[in-house]
Amino acid sequence: MATLSFERKYRVRGGTLIGGDLFDFWFGPFYVGFFGVTTIIFSVLGTALLVWGAAMGPTWNLWQISIAPPDLSYGLKFAPLAEGGLWQLVTICAIGAFLSWALRQAEISRKLGMGMHIPWAYGAAVLAYVTLVVFRPMLLGAWGHGFPYGIFSHLDWVSNVGYQYLHFHYNPAHMIAITFFFTNCLALAMHGSLILSVTNPKKGEPVKTSEHENVFFRDLVGYSIGAIGIHRLGLFLAMSASIWSAICIIISGPFWTKGWPEWWSWWLNLPIWPA
Amino acid sequence: MIRLDRHSAAVAAALLAVTALSGCDYFGKDRAGVQTGYRGTAMEQVYNEPAVNAEFAKVVIPEALPPVSPSTDSGPLPWQNVQVLNDISVAEFNRTMVAMSTWVAGTGNCGYCHNLGNLAADTTAKGEPLYTKIVARRMIQMTRHINSQYPQHVANTGVTCYTCHMGKPLPNGLWFYASQNDHLRHYLDRDGARVISHDMAPSDKNRSSVKQTEWTYKLMISQSNSLGVNCTYCHNSRLFSSWEEAPPQRVTAYHGILMLRDVNTNFLAPLQPVYPEVRLGKAMGDAPKAQCLTCHNGAYKPLYGAQMVKDYPAFWGRPDWNGVPFPGRYMQAAAAEPAVEMMDSTATPTVEVAPVPAGTPATTPSTPSVSSRNSTPRTTTGTQR
Repeated sequence: MATLSFERKYRVRGGTLIGGDLFDFWFGPFYVGFFGVTTIIFSVLGTALLVWGAAMGPTWNLWQISIAPPDLSYGLKFAPLAEGGLWQLVTICAIGAFLSWALRQAEISRKLGMGMHIPWAYGAAVLAYVTLVVFRPMLLGAWGHGFPYGIFSHLDWVSNVGYQYLHFHYNPAHMIAITFFFTNCLALAMHGSLILSVTNPKKGEPVKTSEHENVFFRDLVGYSIGAIGIHRLGLFLAMSASIWSAICIIISGPFWTKGWPEWWSWWLNLPIWPA
Repeated sequence: MIRLDRHSAAVAAALLAVTALSGCDYFGKDRAGVQTGYRGTAMEQVYNEPAVNAEFAKVVIPEALPPVSPSTDSGPLPWQNVQVLNDISVAEFNRTMVAMSTWVAGTGNCGYCHNLGNLAADTTAKGEPLYTKIVARRMIQMTRHINSQYPQHVANTGVTCYTCHMGKPLPNGLWFYASQNDHLRHYLDRDGARVISHDMAPSDKNRSSVKQTEWTYKLMISQSNSLGVNCTYCHNSRLFSSWEEAPPQRVTAYHGILMLRDVNTNFLAPLQPVYPEVRLGKAMGDAPKAQCLTCHNGAYKPLYGAQMVKDYPAFWGRPDWNGVPFPGRYMQAAAAEPAVEMMDSTATPTVEVAPVPAGTPATTPSTPSVSSRNSTPRTTTGTQR
């Protein structure tokens, strides 16, 4: 693969977090690094384990393959491979791969002299995953509370967990998380459409500048957050969505076992209402 | 080396602190998870164990009165006007009366139901009808009816007066006609809780209204609240309508609905003319009726499964309870005989199941095709009474 003209100046040695010069090289356009190697090892091993689990049956239907966590009776112990142990190993591989990837991002950021925005942003999504399969099961005392690795089966898990709290949309942290997801989507749509518009002008017209962008949104919604601002906002919205997702599931069970609609009784119980 | 700036370090420290703090108190110590389906499907109940234990401790189970010695009765009963409980010995009869006073009216409060001047009378000293006695008599028939006809719901735990009354004259959860609890009519005379379509595409075949849908939702939520359980206690939310994928508790609940309809239609609602006005519904003047909450009181098993009725044959309505034969009035003569034969013997009056006045219970939907009936829900906590 050809190297882009400006890429060479970014191929800086050093800045590694571990291992010095070990694996400090590029494979084609891809930086390898120590954590690139661990990412490959964990993801290949984890995927192989998933395929092994699928081979154990009962189906090769891609939608229905499911690698399920152990029974609750195993608590926080290891389970036999065919009875959830595989899920435990896959979970370890997944976390290994995700953390390796985040650390590889950190190394690249150091090479480029950037801040740690990208690894932290990615880390927010990893946090949500680890909350689902590690933190919450630990707080509830059994790995069996984790979600199964399957396309349909994880959706069934989500549905059943939701109905365990009668109506999950009443979970206040879920409300906040959803709001951040939707707002993030709106912000991305506004920003993306703006950039596509200014970079694809009418035939014969020049590409528009940021002044043009600001004027457009000032006309449309009365305010323009600016070129850097939209990226800061995007980072905030996206990270908030992930973090509030993690919060909304960690409080369901460990900190609240009743229906979520009932949580709102605090409002009716305020001492401000006439008797 | 990793170079953390101050901001990152603070975030990491905060995360560590939260994990450490919460970890001390938790790690499953006070959360009880009960699995009700295949692993990984989240078919489970998560309980706050201290909270359940606190509720459990609140339930006071009266100690069973000492059993009476086997009957040596002969000849007619020494009392007049005994319309029910005439198949048990005099000693057992008296023991049952004492137990009932504790369960319903307050210990020793015979006068709650009886005219103390004439215990046989159905009227007060002033000649007014003694509604408490008439209702109590019907309730004894109802208790026997439930224990004999609904083993799919009450299993071998059974019910006594105490199951609902818990020491009070008026049980919890009595309901009357009112627009706010229209959904409870499902426990009486209204069918059609099923509002979902079975077809892939919307069509005009399903005429269920938004109001019917809300009734179903309220009905389900009232069952959930009555039992202290969530939706997945009875349903796999992957397909709510599927009996095949549902836990066996759904079948138990289904029989409970049939039981409530029977009880409300044939026992509670027809008592309307007996009650004084103060006991009737304000809007329509109807008799008090039962719902799930009336017996369950927020527990997945009423009284958390306390087995009281086994000590009180007067309420069995069955020829035996867990293999112990019904000790009828003439027990002595037939003591060695197996229970069923004893019931068939002409010398012993059979257990009288209450006559059903008003036809069959309201609409009975077809029985679900699930083989595992009457399966006992898994226990919440270690202790079981």
